[in-house]
Amino acid sequence: MKPLRFLGALLAVLTVLTACSRKPAVKPAVAKAQPPMPSYELRLGRATFEHYCQTCHGETGAGDGFNAFNLDPHPRDISDPAFQKKKTDAELADAIQRGGAGVGLSSLMPPWGRTLSREEIDHTILYIRSLRKKSP
Amino acid sequence: MPLRRLFALTSVAFLLVLAISPAKNFFRPYRAIQKRYAALGVARARSAQQAREYENRPVAIHQFWLTGLDNRVDRCTTCHLGVADTLMRGAPSPFTLHPWTPHTPAQFERFGCTSCHSGQGPATTEGQAHGTAADAGPPLLPVSYVEAGCGRCHSTVTVPDAPLLSRGRAVMERYGCFACHSVRGREAYRSEAPPLASEPVKTGAEWLRRWLTKPRDVDPNATMPNFQLTAKEIEELSHYLFGQNVPEELARSVKAAGEEPAGDAANGKRLFSESRCISCHTVEGKGQGSAPELSKVASAASRGWLLAYIRDPHAFNPRTPMPRYHFSDAESRDVVAYMEDEFRDFDAPKDILEPLRVNRTLAEAGEKTFRRYGCFSCHAAPGTRASEKFGPDLDGIGDKRAAFLDFGRRTDLPRTLTSWLAAKVESPRSFAKGLKMPSYGFSPEETQAVVTALLGFGAQPVPEAYRVVPASLPAPIPAGRVGRLVDRYRCLSCHQIGDRGGDISTAPLTFAGSKMQRDWLVDYLVLSFSIRPILTERMPIFRMPREEAVELADAMETLFVDPRVPEDPFQGRPASDGDPAEGERLYATLGCRACHIVGKSGGYVGPPLTDSGTRLKPGWTYTWLKGPQRWRADVRCPDFGLTDRDALRLTGYLATLRQPPAQAKGAK
Repeated sequence: MKPLRFLGALLAVLTVLTACSRKPAVKPAVAKAQPPMPSYELRLGRATFEHYCQTCHGETGAGDGFNAFNLDPHPRDISDPAFQKKKTDAELADAIQRGGAGVGLSSLMPPWGRTLSREEIDHTILYIRSLRKKSP
Repeated sequence: MPLRRLFALTSVAFLLVLAISPAKNFFRPYRAIQKRYAALGVARARSAQQAREYENRPVAIHQFWLTGLDNRVDRCTTCHLGVADTLMRGAPSPFTLHPWTPHTPAQFERFGCTSCHSGQGPATTEGQAHGTAADAGPPLLPVSYVEAGCGRCHSTVTVPDAPLLSRGRAVMERYGCFACHSVRGREAYRSEAPPLASEPVKTGAEWLRRWLTKPRDVDPNATMPNFQLTAKEIEELSHYLFGQNVPEELARSVKAAGEEPAGDAANGKRLFSESRCISCHTVEGKGQGSAPELSKVASAASRGWLLAYIRDPHAFNPRTPMPRYHFSDAESRDVVAYMEDEFRDFDAPKDILEPLRVNRTLAEAGEKTFRRYGCFSCHAAPGTRASEKFGPDLDGIGDKRAAFLDFGRRTDLPRTLTSWLAAKVESPRSFAKGLKMPSYGFSPEETQAVVTALLGFGAQPVPEAYRVVPASLPAPIPAGRVGRLVDRYRCLSCHQIGDRGGDISTAPLTFAGSKMQRDWLVDYLVLSFSIRPILTERMPIFRMPREEAVELADAMETLFVDPRVPEDPFQGRPASDGDPAEGERLYATLGCRACHIVGKSGGYVGPPLTDSGTRLKPGWTYTWLKGPQRWRADVRCPDFGLTDRDALRLTGYLATLRQPPAQAKGAK
């Protein structure tokens, strides 16, 4: 019994020594004031939105892009909280992929399913979600 | 007996010491982390089966071994266990799912982690792996600069899905960084800055003083940085520049032009707007902005110089992107008369264009100053040449160890490469006295973009299989008369031909011969009009003689063709056989009018199609409709996935929309 206890003690001491051998990492000074940046996926989504969607849907998604006045019906306000709440991501993706005509709305919204990849559409939806206006 | 006991004890002690190294491994922090991950997995699992899988995962080191990429070993996934696990979307660090990138999750095995993020792949403790421990290797790249990793393999200026890196590289091209600093792949870079030989007959001492003090204050489009010169240095430089011998021919043409009678400013105004100067220049900030702001140009350059320059810009600066318009002598006088009337700095002193009486001693001192600041790197002045780059190499700057950087007076900075680079780009002279790099006045976003681009310059090139180099496409620009015309009108300043040319125009000329009808093209070159009225950057009216237009159009017809475009998609049958009525119905149901104008209605995004039958070859229209992105990856026209039959019907309809070019212009 005695040697066993001795061995146990020895093991404990060694364990403690091993644990202590690692010095805690030195914290370096962190670069100050990095410009705040949206996530990579959100930035990609914004780029896609600005390139393909903004001309009609407008910068804020309010449906007031420079080409919007040529369209009848006008593009809807996709930043509207009620609209955003009603539509699931899957529904938005479906409308983007199949276009207005594909989901029973205006054919002036073209189908993007063959032009944009699934990821591009997902990122764009992420960005559209960020356009949601604060409820009044 | 005691000896035996001693022997037994030492044996046991020896065994225990041997056991320490596995035991050490047993107490590594990653084990606890893997257990936490398993618990999280069980909590998030969607089925009992899945939960069991998380539970039964053995605790072990995970790694990517990249035999093709310098034998890298990345063990990051030992702790970052959820990078490819969709159940871990939004999970707490370090388990969260890696964001989508063009290479993840599909290509983790090919790229590993450190090829983008840097840091120490083989390490298995946080401090060592992230490089935060005192004795660790180069640290992890802060996530805001992570696009620098793309730059290690991609050497094109624009890198898809890396907007920050692309912007940084574009800024570096525009501001001429590579004129002073050499970097692999950009050895041949040459600045477009004007040679300074004609300065004495161009401007005055006061204007030059203002310019040298702070170029951006004189012209917001200026790419010349602020050299923070002292008043004495400015005076010396002025004497040097005014003391140069102007090439005789230029001096003569400027002098003769200065003595010509004044032109008609009203006609000049019309010519100015037809010539679409703001496709490159700006007037009070309105315009494309790659060329100088013009609203004060008559207070920057003498009348004679302006006139001589507009008539033949290439004689003054062989590398300028500016085309040589085909103005008559009277027309160029009119344009300059308009500029003299309107484009003036009305607050400037009267003598702003008075030349300087040169003092030889000061001029000699000025020449030394000119050399000391490396001005010759961008401005080829007589007697100077840039045999080697003036600044240090940038190869490997992204792999510099922070310990080797000279922070000098900047004791305020954290000792990291990123903060050093950001400070260097922001205020280059703040590190020590006597530094020469000028200040560019970049915005914080531009600084971040440039630092990202810099971090992308690695010490060693990546293995061949990983390199993405700029596409090399044939640019069939003939020598001789056509080549001279392409050069005279500087088509390549805006349009692309093969892998050459600028990106101001959205219409590459590489397949122009397959796209546009010859007769339309001839008329268009003679009297260009805006195909897309919403654009600021439009094709200028060069006042090109008809013979030249014919010559260019014929050359395009022969040389700039693409074998993917069929000569005749209707295969000998008339276009009306393609069922244009059905095509018109398709045009309506597909919603083409959202973007295109036909007749009086339609959108402003794409080009109007009222004259598509006169402008476009049916083969082109057909191939375009079958997949617009084949011709330009980022084009906004969606791919509708039309069947051959539908594409042909739509082509047939568009081919019936005919209108002579003159009328198309009138309709605007």
